[in-house]
Amino acid sequence: MKKLIALALTACMLLSMCAFAAAEEGTVITIVAWDANTTGYLTAQKEAYEASHPGVTIEYIDVSSQDYDTKVAAMLAGKDTSDIYMVKDIPALLNWYEAGYTEDLTPYMQAANYDVAGFVGMETNYAQDGQQIALPFRSDFEILFYNKDLFDAKGVEYPTNDMSWEQYKEKALAVMDDSDPSNPIYGTHYHTWLSTAVNYTVADGVNTLVDGEYSDLAYFYQMIQDLEDAGACMSYSEISAAGLHYSGAFGNGNIAMMPMGYWYVATLITNIANGTYNVKNWGLAAMPTKEGVAAGSTFGNLTGVCMNKLSDDKDAAWDYIAWLCGEEGAKVTAGAGNRPAWVSEGVAEVMSSIEGFPTDEGSKAALLPTFVAIEIPGTALSSRISSILGEEHSAIMTREISIEEGIENMNERVQELLAE
Amino acid sequence: MTQVSADRRKFRMGRLERKNTLIAYTFLAPNFIGFAVFTLIPVVLSIVMSFTEWKGGDLTSMQWVGLNNYAEIFKTAKVGTEMANKGFFAGLSYFFNKVDLGISLKNTIFYTVVTVPLTLVCSIALAMVLNHAVKGAVAFRAVFFFPYVASMVAICVCWNFMLMKNGPVNQILMAFGSKFNKSWTADSTMAMWAIILVSVWRSMGYYMVIYLAALQGVPRELYEAATVDGANKWQQFTHVTLPQLRPTTFFASIMLIIGCFKIYDTVAIMTNGGPGRATKMLVLYIYNEAFVNFNYGLASAIAMVLLVLVLLVTIVQFSMEDKYANS
Repeated sequence: MKKLIALALTACMLLSMCAFAAAEEGTVITIVAWDANTTGYLTAQKEAYEASHPGVTIEYIDVSSQDYDTKVAAMLAGKDTSDIYMVKDIPALLNWYEAGYTEDLTPYMQAANYDVAGFVGMETNYAQDGQQIALPFRSDFEILFYNKDLFDAKGVEYPTNDMSWEQYKEKALAVMDDSDPSNPIYGTHYHTWLSTAVNYTVADGVNTLVDGEYSDLAYFYQMIQDLEDAGACMSYSEISAAGLHYSGAFGNGNIAMMPMGYWYVATLITNIANGTYNVKNWGLAAMPTKEGVAAGSTFGNLTGVCMNKLSDDKDAAWDYIAWLCGEEGAKVTAGAGNRPAWVSEGVAEVMSSIEGFPTDEGSKAALLPTFVAIEIPGTALSSRISSILGEEHSAIMTREISIEEGIENMNERVQELLAE
Repeated sequence: MTQVSADRRKFRMGRLERKNTLIAYTFLAPNFIGFAVFTLIPVVLSIVMSFTEWKGGDLTSMQWVGLNNYAEIFKTAKVGTEMANKGFFAGLSYFFNKVDLGISLKNTIFYTVVTVPLTLVCSIALAMVLNHAVKGAVAFRAVFFFPYVASMVAICVCWNFMLMKNGPVNQILMAFGSKFNKSWTADSTMAMWAIILVSVWRSMGYYMVIYLAALQGVPRELYEAATVDGANKWQQFTHVTLPQLRPTTFFASIMLIIGCFKIYDTVAIMTNGGPGRATKMLVLYIYNEAFVNFNYGLASAIAMVLLVLVLLVTIVQFSMEDKYANS
């Protein structure tokens, strides 16, 4: 009897080993991403690629969005062998590149005769010292989301694609309603990031956040403080103390306008469809502009992918990168409500035809900005400049120092850094 | 013959000694290897790294830069100019108000100087109250100890809500006539107090337990003798209890001071060093330079400043050990 049991157990073990070996046969591409479980386009990309590439499995390693760059840096420093890393911002990518973590994609592109025309030059933002260290698959730009129902309730005209910042401020004040203190309606909403608050100054294509001169930010800081004082937007102090996320804030349905990256379209559509958000009728408008700046000018950022130098299967990783960033991947990304980096007529058609996208002409026209400046140019000092600006930004926004003082500190500290 | 046997005995003793030494090293080895791999080597590497410029990755990309990192974190050129032009104290003021390292040092020392005595006082007070046969003393002990085992993130998030504008803490204070109604973490003065408050609240339960154990060891006879001598309760506390608790206080203060110098989690979750640089601490500064800006050399140089600081405190504490730890 004992022998029989031993035999049966050995047979089970052998069978399970065979099954394990069979399961291991396919190719697994591991991708480090943020919010992998809640981001619609990541699921869509995985499903589409797996369907068109039998035997290949995409596995995401989810890293929290807030600390993405920091955690990825720690993973890479720890010799992580994940195949692909999503690139959230250029300064962080440059740090990875300088530390030698990224694989140069140029040889792969040359071998595959990879066409970059669809990127309309945006891929150059990921080029460094003659190396293509990443490729973009999304190109988000700052756009104005608005809640049509709140504008209708107050009889205020919807934001247009050629608004000035003064007109924007007037609308925010006109549409706000604080008559019910338990449920105030805010005219607009600023998330805690410096970019969503004051970075609109770079939309003129002249100012940048790395030039060491920040007096141009004063106009936007003053406008935010005026709006906060009037009760037309929540105060920075409360938002940061409560850790309020912008998606829930606008989704709650009591915010009339919110400047945010285009990526929010996908979140909004998904959450409205599943009934999580209160907001129902929404639209898009181009970001307002200052006098002398062409309407439709804004700033944006690229989201891309880079290959880990320590990847076990670089060919498989390249195949995925080529697919994701090219026409096919772009259509899948667009189909999930995002703006792909690869632009073509076919992709544009997919973008505006997804269910839940506003049907009005204004929103469709807002998809085509006239100029997109890079949020923060990638330089060796971008990351340190961002840290300095972030510190002074929080001091200004909590009103611990005046706008003038804050800008003086920004100028002094960044210029000191640049001089070093 | 006598000489030969003595030599042989000496030889035999030597072998025994060697054997014993080997056994001792064998027992020490696992611990020492762990210490060497996870502490000693990283510390030595960090010292070396503080004289280099390194962005991480391949070790060959490390460049020797001498004292440049130290010059950069101390902003020696700028502070020197200030001192030369406006005097020594103006230079010092510039260092502690404008330079990242100076601000972090100032914040860390202020936090330590306030948190350590406050925690000790609260812990002793709690231990004194709960040492008596109070109804539900066991439950209270568990309640006060609970924050120490609770998740730090949960604690900080909850306190952030409690210390918000119109939050419960501000409401209570306003009921007592306070005019302050702003999120504590958004105010450059109160943000530091918010962190101190959470730190004291969290660790006082732990030190309370240690003091409770120490209080059990105070001989009853001492109180009886003090009562016979006519000492009142306060005099008994200051002349009997406190001196008897001295070794415990010494231990607790060492642990607390070192813990305070290493403060990171509370700050990272509650304020991330803000508003501005009001709560920027040394470890947060090290972390940001190393893992946000990838300046491992610079971060190591800052870590050396922290090392020297902790070393100084440790030397002072060791010199006082005989006096305070063995009463």
